[in-house]
Amino acid sequence: MNNLVFGKYIPIKSPIHDLDPRAKIAALFVMIAAVFIPKSWYCYALLGVIILGIVLLSHIKITMILKALKPTMFMMAFLLIINCLTVKTGTVLLSYKSFVIYSDAVLNTLFIVVRLLLMIMLTTILTATTKPLDLTLGIESLLSPLKVIHFPYHEIAMMISIALRFIPTIIEETMRIMNSQKSRGVDFEEGKLREKINAILSLIIPLFTVAFQRAFELADAMEARGYVPDQERTKYHTLKFRFKDFLFLLFAHILLALMILSRFYL
Amino acid sequence: MAIKFKSLSYIYDEGMPYAHKALDDINLELVEGKVTAIIGETGSGKSTLVEHLNALLLPSSGSLEILDREIVAREKNKGLKALRKEVGLVFQFSEYQLFEETILKDVAFGPKNYGISEEEANDKARKALKLVGIDEKMFDVSPFDISGGQKRRIAIAGILALEPSVLVLDEPTAGLDPKGAQEMIEIFITLNRKQGKTIIIVSHDNEMVYNYAENTVLMEKGRIAYCGPTLELFNNDELVRKYHLLEPQLVSFKRMLKEEGFKVPAEIRTIGELAKYMGKEVRKR
Ligand SMILES: Nc1ncnc2c1ncn2[C@@H]1O[C@H](COP(=O)(O)OP(=O)(O)OP(=O)(O)O)[C@@H](O)[C@H]1O
Ligand SMILES: [Mg+2]
Repeated sequence: MNNLVFGKYIPIKSPIHDLDPRAKIAALFVMIAAVFIPKSWYCYALLGVIILGIVLLSHIKITMILKALKPTMFMMAFLLIINCLTVKTGTVLLSYKSFVIYSDAVLNTLFIVVRLLLMIMLTTILTATTKPLDLTLGIESLLSPLKVIHFPYHEIAMMISIALRFIPTIIEETMRIMNSQKSRGVDFEEGKLREKINAILSLIIPLFTVAFQRAFELADAMEARGYVPDQERTKYHTLKFRFKDFLFLLFAHILLALMILSRFYL
Repeated sequence: MAIKFKSLSYIYDEGMPYAHKALDDINLELVEGKVTAIIGETGSGKSTLVEHLNALLLPSSGSLEILDREIVAREKNKGLKALRKEVGLVFQFSEYQLFEETILKDVAFGPKNYGISEEEANDKARKALKLVGIDEKMFDVSPFDISGGQKRRIAIAGILALEPSVLVLDEPTAGLDPKGAQEMIEIFITLNRKQGKTIIIVSHDNEMVYNYAENTVLMEKGRIAYCGPTLELFNNDELVRKYHLLEPQLVSFKRMLKEEGFKVPAEIRTIGELAKYMGKEVRKR
């Protein structure tokens, strides 16, 4: 559980950390779109180099990105198998009795894998370089135009920020309860199915109780300090959109434009 | 036999930018069959230290010898479940581990994990519950419907029911009322005197430590600052000042009496013993 890297903020200083969260969120979406458009390997080479460049700029260790990718390996292997069984075009790469693997199957999988890799890298950059609080401020600000259709953007942002805030707490709580139960002889790794179910129950029930208790306490604390959900609020922490944020966003758009053009000219 | 920490270090989030060395090259010997207190400022690594005793945390480097096992950093460690029966660890804030429908079932949960029959487990649970002072009437109550102090007692009973030979308690009395805390401590002391169990107790309460613990380990920023007889630590003004320890009232009292010309023996550690001695002295005069 401690190895959970995906979605974890890394508190260091870097040019990417320094950007406005709105610029980062918007640029992320634009770049993810850019990742899913091209069909040529040249484009992916370019994207790969650029995204790797951003990773380097953000001072995140490559090993961290690799760790974030680890959980997706299983999915990728699964994809490869499915593709090998279904895709029947291209040249024959390998044949064993009635089992044939075509080049397109491998190529298709490679495309998906590369796209997924780049996407995960991008999201890891966002979450690793943006404080959860800034992330929600960014989301709130980006959603705020929706107030014309009475979309409760502030409440949504508040919910997201509370949820994000409590992820580490819940993880910590889980570890603590797990350790208590291990001390009472619960074995979370080995054992028969029945024992496994029992082990999970001994974790889930206290976790729920604690989570509810925390939620009620928080609600009380917020009410005690006069929080009213749909009231207009001022902010202590305001976001500033600077020239470099504009440049970063512009860069993302140029990248997207290039990728769209590549569909016509490559 | 003793519990031996050999150049043991522990790093939280090893390999991350925010890695934190919580234990730094610990060399320590805890004597079995005694009551040992572990004290130190908050964040000094007390909990981290005791969580090694039943292998919930495995050392980042160095090793730990406990009972007939050796736990070495970076080696596959199997059969930890068996170790956890012999070394019972009661957590700081242990009240969160409760989950069964009734108190009795919850306490019997531990022993049942070690493959004994339902009745036997229930017997052990009843015994443990009585020991911590939970009335038989409460056995069928849900553990969620009781007070925080009672929850703590039940959590402690949950470990006592395993009948461990080493009992490790991480601030077992924090949040209990003074009388309840005193009762709790006396239960542990009795377990030590009557059954010879090794008791290791993390505490912020220097009064209690002075009264009951034969040995004390003082931690400071992940290192061992002092390890030895409790009396030698607290009776030594220099050490008390050097480590900014809160002096037990009894020690101040004894000093004042000395200034008045009484030759109070150093080994007096409880107010009862002191009263007895003073009674004799006053009558002599
Ligand atoms: N799960 C964790 N992840 C990262 N760092 C931790 C974790 N648990 C503890 N630490 C850090 O390790 C150090 C020692 O913590 P520990 O809990 O052992 O202290 P303690 O002496 O038990 O304190 P207290 O008296 O407050 O219980 C602290 O600086 C703490 O911030
Ligand atoms: Mg602690």
